[in-house]
Amino acid sequence: MTLEQRRSRIAWRVLRVAIPLVACAVLLGVLAFGYGTVPALGPALDPGRGVWTSASGAELPHSQALSLPGLDHPVQVSFTSHGVPSLRAASLHDLVLAEGYVQARFRLAQMDLERRLGEGRLAQLAGPSAVSSDKFELRLGLVRTAEQEWAQMPRSSATAQALLAFTKGVNDDLAQIRRDRQWPALFSLAGVYPGDWTPVDSLVIQGDLTQQLGFTTTPLDYALLERALGARRTMAWFPVLPPNQQHPYDPGPYRKAGLVPLQPGTSSSQSSATKTVRPAPSPSRSAVAVTAAGDSAARPAGSPAGRSARPAGVPAAEVTAASALLAEVNALPAGQVHTYPDSNAWAANGPAVAGGRSMLAGDPHLPQTIPSIWYQVALSAPGYQVSGVSVPGLPGVLLGHNQHIAWSLTDTQNQATLFYTERTSKSRPGQYFWDGAWRRMRQVHYTIAVRGGAAVRLTVDLTVHGPIMTQAGQTTSVDWMGNVPSPDLAVMLAVNTAHDWAQFHAALANWRAPSQNFVYADDQGHIGAISAGYYPEVRHGQPWLPMTGTGADDVAGVIPYSSVPQVYDPSGHVLATANQRPVGPSYPYYIGTTANFFDPGYRASQIYAALAGGRGMTPATFAGVQTSLTDPLARRILPALLGALHQPGARLTARQQQAASLLAGWNGAMTASSAAASVWWTFWTDYLTAVFRPWWHTAAVPVHRDPSGLKVSPDQASLDEVLETWTLRDPGNAAFTAPGGPRRTAPQVIRAAFATAVAHLSAKLGGTPSQWAWGRLHSRQFPSLTQADALGYGPRAAGGDPWTVDAADGGLVASQGPSWRMIVAWTGPGSGTGQGIYPGGQSENPASRWYEDQVADWWNGRYLPMPPPGSSAGVIRWTLRP
Amino acid sequence: MSDLSRLGKRGAYRLGRLGAPAPAPARPPAPHYPSWVPGHRGPVLLWLLGSLAAAVLIALGAAAGWWFLPFVAGLAGGAAARYGRWRLRVALPAAALVAAVGWAIPLGWQALHGAPVRATARVVAALAGLPPHASVAIAATLIVAVLQALAGLWLTWALIPRR
Repeated sequence: MTLEQRRSRIAWRVLRVAIPLVACAVLLGVLAFGYGTVPALGPALDPGRGVWTSASGAELPHSQALSLPGLDHPVQVSFTSHGVPSLRAASLHDLVLAEGYVQARFRLAQMDLERRLGEGRLAQLAGPSAVSSDKFELRLGLVRTAEQEWAQMPRSSATAQALLAFTKGVNDDLAQIRRDRQWPALFSLAGVYPGDWTPVDSLVIQGDLTQQLGFTTTPLDYALLERALGARRTMAWFPVLPPNQQHPYDPGPYRKAGLVPLQPGTSSSQSSATKTVRPAPSPSRSAVAVTAAGDSAARPAGSPAGRSARPAGVPAAEVTAASALLAEVNALPAGQVHTYPDSNAWAANGPAVAGGRSMLAGDPHLPQTIPSIWYQVALSAPGYQVSGVSVPGLPGVLLGHNQHIAWSLTDTQNQATLFYTERTSKSRPGQYFWDGAWRRMRQVHYTIAVRGGAAVRLTVDLTVHGPIMTQAGQTTSVDWMGNVPSPDLAVMLAVNTAHDWAQFHAALANWRAPSQNFVYADDQGHIGAISAGYYPEVRHGQPWLPMTGTGADDVAGVIPYSSVPQVYDPSGHVLATANQRPVGPSYPYYIGTTANFFDPGYRASQIYAALAGGRGMTPATFAGVQTSLTDPLARRILPALLGALHQPGARLTARQQQAASLLAGWNGAMTASSAAASVWWTFWTDYLTAVFRPWWHTAAVPVHRDPSGLKVSPDQASLDEVLETWTLRDPGNAAFTAPGGPRRTAPQVIRAAFATAVAHLSAKLGGTPSQWAWGRLHSRQFPSLTQADALGYGPRAAGGDPWTVDAADGGLVASQGPSWRMIVAWTGPGSGTGQGIYPGGQSENPASRWYEDQVADWWNGRYLPMPPPGSSAGVIRWTLRP
Repeated sequence: MSDLSRLGKRGAYRLGRLGAPAPAPARPPAPHYPSWVPGHRGPVLLWLLGSLAAAVLIALGAAAGWWFLPFVAGLAGGAAARYGRWRLRVALPAAALVAAVGWAIPLGWQALHGAPVRATARVVAALAGLPPHASVAIAATLIVAVLQALAGLWLTWALIPRR
């Protein structure tokens, strides 16, 4: 054997051992620690400890006694066949502790996801794809606000005690899970496990909800629109006041009572409390001048007066900043910021209802996820009796009834987000100019842990207005009312125990954000509504656009509680809120524009039309309204549409005639089987496009920067309102004539749009109009909160559209709508019944029978009885022992 | 010239000599055994019982969180196979089977006790971004066990020389 052969033989022997050794090391390393976003599959798939243990969590609970450290006395829990628990405790402390335990038992992953979302810790679980969300949230500052709220809360207060008890209950469940190693599959698979719960976590979840309902980027859209279309057209087509006929629930008279300062110690209040508002030094353009040039109705009573410090026109830097921030927001998970304006709540009393007492209906429209945003519960302790839906992660009940009152909420949607352009200088890094002097920005540093990636460092700069959200183009900060510490939890606990309107009204005086329309009905036969919350008023400037940050356009104060929209026992015995502008045009304060801030009012009008003049209405009457699929806009426009199609000289093809005849015999119901509904919806979309797209094209509106806020579509409430108004009252409006094109009127555009719609439908659904069922175009789906497609529900053919009371939002595959339907009927003092349903189930575990067991009932418009507080009639019973 | 009457008989064409010596008797042919039988030590039943015990140990280890036991079993299986003079074509599937059975036992145990294992498997597959079928997650789980066992076997096979 030669030397070379010997060497090669030795090398081969070494390799023969080294290769398997390295391969085994790599395999075991990957299995033990994961690689990148690939989880550690060894422990994750371990059939004794990994994801498979979540199977036991999917089993329905059985009657048993459980030990719960921290309780003073035993607590009885009784579950209905759908898993709705009734908790009976000897004290509020024990009740809330048990509520925390039960919520965590069935919704731990949801609670952890929500707190991670608000605290900017999502990437730690979800990996690099969530870094942008974490950055956004840390900039916006939900966790800073929550920490501030907790720091300011006296530990002896009922709220702090409730939070501590709730926290203990959640941690009791976590301790059990750690002991039994039966984690929800999400954690086992990721290898990232939730830490202990804290009161700040609950307050962050409160912030999540506030953000979802109250944070908006509409002023940035206004900036882009104004840059492209010019101020006159922007304010004509996206006016402050709605041009169409609406039905405010508070028709007035109104009283202007000045302003009150924001709560001391907040970013906004710092500015309002310490600043001296000065006239802007630069050439400016007043709100009055703009609105006068645009639309006579655009400037409401109470609009900010005086000269703005803002320079004329939208500078390119502002466009850059707006585009950057919009891109960031658009990358966030769906529903993280306010998008669709939909919720309903109404009440009736006296002769309007059977028995002459009162009745209330509520259906908040939120992202319809599975698990639901709600966890239904009935709670009973001495002095505290309430039944309804809670938010996982928060104690108490947010919507429901106690022994004397019932309440529900809709989003007020006033403008609560103000953007400021800070004046900075390269020669003064880290500073901004405000109130006549250069100020140093406060900095907060964060490190974002990323699963499967390197940690990301983030520095957030804070000005007197609030956090800097972007430095692209220019330095833009946001003054958002959600960043004002708000004792929402204390208010809700007080609402939960209120016995009459006076107590209810008094409790809500401290509510700040998100501003909500609280609708009320009591066992004495009274009804009412109040839009509680902060309505920021600026002394100068146009709050619907980014304003100058030098001080002149700062928040001057908020509307006093006595002057916010409200009504009590209206003479018509009916009141309804459906996110419409709650007040009429003579309301003496600025509260927002038609663009995003308020609904076009179609649902509210439909509800009033359905209830007006009603006598002896029953829960079945209310249920019929809640599930109504009538599109009020269609009913308003149809006469004009058919009139245009049948004008002398109008030539329709045979197919167009068939489509028109479908509309002629249609009642406006957007049912899944209706072919006319498809014709209507496609027509309206094409009509909007035919009118506005030429303008958008000519002006180069940067739709790609924010499709949901800028694209010509039925989702733009302002465009729907103005087009409705022009069609019915101003068919010769100049906007019908495309730029540079021949003069057109509404009927001409209607005919063209109708032809386009028929062509679109023919291409998509075939050449037989009678087969164009709406359900072939339109569906609903309830996506999984984990964003795993297979764990959601649908898409399934469905009726409805954004303007039906049974709303379907989010496009042709709707994913937002009634997240909970509730009807409470009072029949006498302390006597009433409640029924409710939501699309989902009580358990977050997809393998559980309680995961989506309520979807079928919800889908078919059925309700389940709400267990009365203290009920022990459930089929499964726990005794929680200290 | 040879005697014609001897044609076809022994020695008929051998010129000059008649009655050539008989060839040595051939060795009787060896009985045919399947290829995996020869060479191993010990009774097969013992080996089967050992494999079963290994599977049970893997299952118990899984319950204790020792997810790496299939690898250890693979190591031990490789050493035992060398000692027992088993061929690779036998040892390899045996180790894979032991590992798969070892991890299947806890799943079967849970299912027998009413836990929704199939539904959970579907959830796991969906969360992992795989096709949401129960068989996918169950297969992935068993594959992780089998891979470990095979890796362990490979390592000892390489480390321990053939006896």
